[in-house]
Amino acid sequence: MDVLKLEIVTPEGQIFSDNVKNITLPGSEGEFGVYPLHASLVSLLQAGVIDIELSSGKHEIIAINWGHAKVDESSVTVLADGAVVVGGSSESAIALSLKNAKELIESMSDSSSSILAATAKIELVARR
Amino acid sequence: MSNLKEIKRKIKSVENTQKTTKAMKLVSTAKLNRAKLAAQESKVYADKINEVLSEISYKINQYKIGGIDSRFFNEISDIKKVDILFVTADKGLCGGFNIQTIKEVNRLTQEYKSNKIKVRLRGIGKKGIAFFKFQDIELHSSYEGVSSAPTYKKAQEIISEAIEDFMNGITDKVILIHNGYLNMISQDLKVNNIVPVSIYEGYETDSKSLMELEPEEDETILESLIKKYFEYNMYYALIDSLAAEHSARMQAMDNATNNATERVDMLTLAYNKARQESITTELIEIISGVESMK
Repeated sequence: MDVLKLEIVTPEGQIFSDNVKNITLPGSEGEFGVYPLHASLVSLLQAGVIDIELSSGKHEIIAINWGHAKVDESSVTVLADGAVVVGGSSESAIALSLKNAKELIESMSDSSSSILAATAKIELVARR
Repeated sequence: MSNLKEIKRKIKSVENTQKTTKAMKLVSTAKLNRAKLAAQESKVYADKINEVLSEISYKINQYKIGGIDSRFFNEISDIKKVDILFVTADKGLCGGFNIQTIKEVNRLTQEYKSNKIKVRLRGIGKKGIAFFKFQDIELHSSYEGVSSAPTYKKAQEIISEAIEDFMNGITDKVILIHNGYLNMISQDLKVNNIVPVSIYEGYETDSKSLMELEPEEDETILESLIKKYFEYNMYYALIDSLAAEHSARMQAMDNATNNATERVDMLTLAYNKARQESITTELIEIISGVESMK
């Protein structure tokens, strides 16, 4: 078992569903990483970004505003209230998704430090 | 001659009805597409949240994780009062859509009553409310105008009342009944035991480890997750019911249009017969007139 099945769903539908290598989640107690064979866990998530390492080795970034994550040995399920995938095929699509992601996080989070941390992370990824 | 006129008038009237039913079918088809999309999108989330909750419920029952208020998860053996929430449409003309739900509500009520369990009904949708009013069956609370335009906020209001009673020990079980969307031509009656959270049917897991909750020191995580679970299930029931209502109406109106076509054909035949009859009578009159002149 060297992959995790990750599913991210929002009330608007499924955002992501695939096998991945590892995930970094914005837990309310702090960021935490999940690798395959992680112990069962249910955690509250705060506004921030989910960093996914795909089985191809590429990274994908998804911004969420609030939600829950359920982790067990072979799968991770994220129930988010709102989520925006950061990325796109063209320069303008990436810029638009960046803007949406920042707005989503700013609309939910009340602590300015977590907004800063999240936006910094988004920008870091965008420059990659 | 008066007979002819009468039939002609009938044909016109049936044709007018047909126009109405045809238009209603078109309207329902358009609305169905929108409602169907909304229902399908939220189905993923509703399924997932139910799955997560069942897993938590399963683990709590298996390992008896302490410290968590388990009223939500443990099956109460001595049930005294049950809350039944049912969703019907605000409008009629949709075939057996509403009556199916009502029948199921009645069946469950009878079943519980024979076991000496008190049942309280909460009705959503004008049609169901009107039915029980006519039968002189008291509804604990009723909500009109929600099923034709469901919003998350309204769903929140409805379910929070039922859950509050459950939490305060007034009721021991909450059941949600709605007629859901299956495909374009059929509906599927869904009976959902909201609380205590039931374990997903056929639920199996290979995960054996104890479930940890984070943040640990307070129970806000379970509380917020459970709140979300109720509200979302209620909301999903409303939009699923709306999609089903439109599909039922679309079909009912299609049938009505077909029936009207048949009726017009029948009346046209009767009209032609009557016309021929009157011509024959006239001819006989003329001929017999001529005969008598000879």
